Amino acid sequence: MSKDKDNEIDPVRLWREWFVKSEKTWSDSLTKMMGDERFSSGMGRYMHEALHTHRMFSEAMAQYLANLNIPSRADILDMSDRLAHIEDTLNQLQVELRGQRTQLTKLAAGSGGAPEGTARKRPARTRKPEKRAE
Amino acid sequence: MSPLNEEPESADAQAIDQRVERLVERAIARNIPGLRLPQTQSDLDVGPTPKELVFSTETACLYHYEPLQDEVYRLPVLIVMSPVARGYILDLARGQSLVEYLLMQGHDVYMLDWTAPRREQATLGLAEYVVDLVSGCIEAVAGDSGEDDVTLIGYCMGGMLSAMYAALNPRGPVKNLACFTTPINGDGMALYKKWMSSPSFDIDRLVEQLGIIPGDFINSSIQALRPLQRSANQMRLLNNVEDDAFVKAHLRFDRWAVDQLPIPGHLARDMVNDFIVGNKIIDGALALRGQTVDFAKITVPFLHVAALYDHIVPAAASRDLIGLVGSTDKQEIVMKGGHVSLVAGGNAVFRLWPQLDNWLATRGT
Repeated sequence: MSKDKDNEIDPVRLWREWFVKSEKTWSDSLTKMMGDERFSSGMGRYMHEALHTHRMFSEAMAQYLANLNIPSRADILDMSDRLAHIEDTLNQLQVELRGQRTQLTKLAAGSGGAPEGTARKRPARTRKPEKRAE
Repeated sequence: MSPLNEEPESADAQAIDQRVERLVERAIARNIPGLRLPQTQSDLDVGPTPKELVFSTETACLYHYEPLQDEVYRLPVLIVMSPVARGYILDLARGQSLVEYLLMQGHDVYMLDWTAPRREQATLGLAEYVVDLVSGCIEAVAGDSGEDDVTLIGYCMGGMLSAMYAALNPRGPVKNLACFTTPINGDGMALYKKWMSSPSFDIDRLVEQLGIIPGDFINSSIQALRPLQRSANQMRLLNNVEDDAFVKAHLRFDRWAVDQLPIPGHLARDMVNDFIVGNKIIDGALALRGQTVDFAKITVPFLHVAALYDHIVPAAASRDLIGLVGSTDKQEIVMKGGHVSLVAGGNAVFRLWPQLDNWLATRGT
């Protein structure tokens, strides 16, 4: 009984399956259309206009936000850059600490014991490929 | 119409009603698990293999993965990611991670992963990426591992950067070079070539105004190569929504696919002018800091892995690589699959990774 129910037709699923199967054909047609000379030329012009609009809108919006005493995108980017600088510094510290731990491990290996908190012993670089059965 | 005839008609109508009701209920029941999707999206764990930052400079971050064997091959393996893609595609989840697999096989693995550039880094171009950043990371691998030699594995544009580095340093530290789905012939990137060769396309204006090319812009450009694929993937997800493993794997891939990195404007300009429009790699006319990039100078063992159904880097864009490289020990593997499934799909896990391990193992001592 339940098997019969499972075999019932689900039109939405059928449509989805058809879409998945025919997607490549549709995509290829669209890509072919986008590769057309006129489309390519239109793309360039569209990008040109979009950049122009973007600049105009950005400048107007920056002025508007400044009048309202609200941070603009440029202010947010300034903050993002400062955060990235802090991240860079933290990265450098992390790298430095790792170097120190490696040095300590080497020293400890020389004196016979690894102090607590030092880096793990590095594996030996002596591995050879396994011989494959003929 | 007699009352005797009304009864069956009414019974039919009732049966149809019930059938429609059942279909609707089943359709809803099937799709209700989809409501869990937004919750699982945030629960996805990508990049699970433990790693440490070894070196960082500008947009480059070099990570070392914790070895999983007590004895490793002599040569460290450095994976160079594409500057537009996040490195976690190669360490997607446990059991679906190339990095984890290589560690399990006894390789010592490093990864050069890229970060989003800041505005002051907008002037980093192809020369800076190859001559300064890739080079700096290779030196850092040598310093960290204690080995002067290294095996390079480049994915997509990372393969291009790796091959360029190897060509500029033929006597250098690269002992083996593997390139995965690496674009080399600008003419093969047919749609981009058409768009960018159009007189109305002005890359200088784009770079001048934006400085950094946003990740969304890159994502849209990639999606234009197969405009309906993402929708088809969503349909596929709905068809398998009751399969948790499928849903999680799909969401991981999907998260990565839209998680494109922004790139410095100058790098974008170099890629457009020198690679796609100028096609200088094929013509042997590409020079970085005055030094010609001649792939014939690469004489180390070379492996090229391409995907049969790759629509991002089609065969026409990558197949010349093997011929350009001067190595005598060179091999090409063409696998069924697409640009991403090549390195992280089921076919990769069972077929490509073992072949890659075998290739590396015999040349990694």
